[in-house]
Amino acid sequence: MPKVKVPRKSTIVDMTAMCDVAFLLLTFFMLTAKFRPDQPVMIDIPGSRSMIKVPEDVIVIQVDKNGRAFLTLHDQATRLQALENMQQRVGDRFPAIKTLDEKQKTRFSLMEMMGIPIEALPQALSMPDLQFKEYAKVAKGVPIDSATNQLGDWVMAARYVNPKMRIAIKGDKFTKTEAVSRVIQILTENNIHTFNLITSLKVGKTAEE
Amino acid sequence: MAELDTSDSGAKKKHKGKVKGKKMSTRVDLTPMVDLAFLLITFFMLTTTLNKPQAMELNMPKKDDEDKTDIKESQVMTVLLDSLDQIWYYDGQTVADLKTTTFAGDAGIRKIILKKQKKVKRTLGEKKDLIVIIKLLQGAKYKAMVDILDEMDITDTKTYAIQDPYPLEIEAIENGGNPKLATE
Repeated sequence: MPKVKVPRKSTIVDMTAMCDVAFLLLTFFMLTAKFRPDQPVMIDIPGSRSMIKVPEDVIVIQVDKNGRAFLTLHDQATRLQALENMQQRVGDRFPAIKTLDEKQKTRFSLMEMMGIPIEALPQALSMPDLQFKEYAKVAKGVPIDSATNQLGDWVMAARYVNPKMRIAIKGDKFTKTEAVSRVIQILTENNIHTFNLITSLKVGKTAEE
Repeated sequence: MAELDTSDSGAKKKHKGKVKGKKMSTRVDLTPMVDLAFLLITFFMLTTTLNKPQAMELNMPKKDDEDKTDIKESQVMTVLLDSLDQIWYYDGQTVADLKTTTFAGDAGIRKIILKKQKKVKRTLGEKKDLIVIIKLLQGAKYKAMVDILDEMDITDTKTYAIQDPYPLEIEAIENGGNPKLATE
């Protein structure tokens, strides 16, 4: 019998490649991850079968459970410009909006969900950070009642920045339809007849025939 | 983890002190690093929401748009949504004949709409479609509104409109067909 020496193989596996892959994936996920913006109120959206994606350039009108309306414009520059348009638009009716200084304007542009009546803006925007955060939660929302309808003006001011912007309504499951209907009414008053309702995808709903 | 302690390496360690100027291996065990990386990947994968919310399209008629089309009474169905997530519906114009249903999958409003659609096609011809008028009563939830619009999409109802309820309809629901009042 010849002596066969079975060489002992090392069980060490080179981890470099695996490590590379892992970090590549990690970088990908970290870069694509979009952190949820800080929202003063939670809105639980209803589901639907619709598969249309929400357009990029969009003015979102959020209506919470208590029927408060919030305006969400998607980036800082748009918000700032919308505010400036608003100053021109309603400056005569609401002198308060003209008194905003640069610092307050920047603060406004950082607000993801705008739900403060115009009269209260200067005061709210000069609050210290923590107090402001608390205030944003309890603010009255953008007035939508027929006596003090500010939402229409805001939407038009935002549309003036970019006329191609679409309008979407995001309502909570338990929002009363009166509030949503009122928002729709304001939109149609301003000649906006096509808009989106934001929903989450619900699978398994089909017509059985 | 990927490394098993073989007797070879054990033997080497014993002689370590004696061998002078032995080059140390520059290899680093990357296993913990990989572990960490995958842990973080898992974290990011689970916490990020890649799905963007969906949207439904809603078209409202223009106020001045007096575009009158010829609609047969038997082609129309009115659906009313109330605050208790119930659906009231009636055919044509007779408010008196109110029936109630729910959103429940196959037995609810969907089946009724599909049935009505077929009836419209059968009696009025293939060209005519069912027209659904949606009315939201006081206190109806937004979810119900989205659900009924979704049902329109599911049942492929092309023509539908959202309107305010008539006082007659509100009255009929308050007195007439309220099942809670009937059982008491």
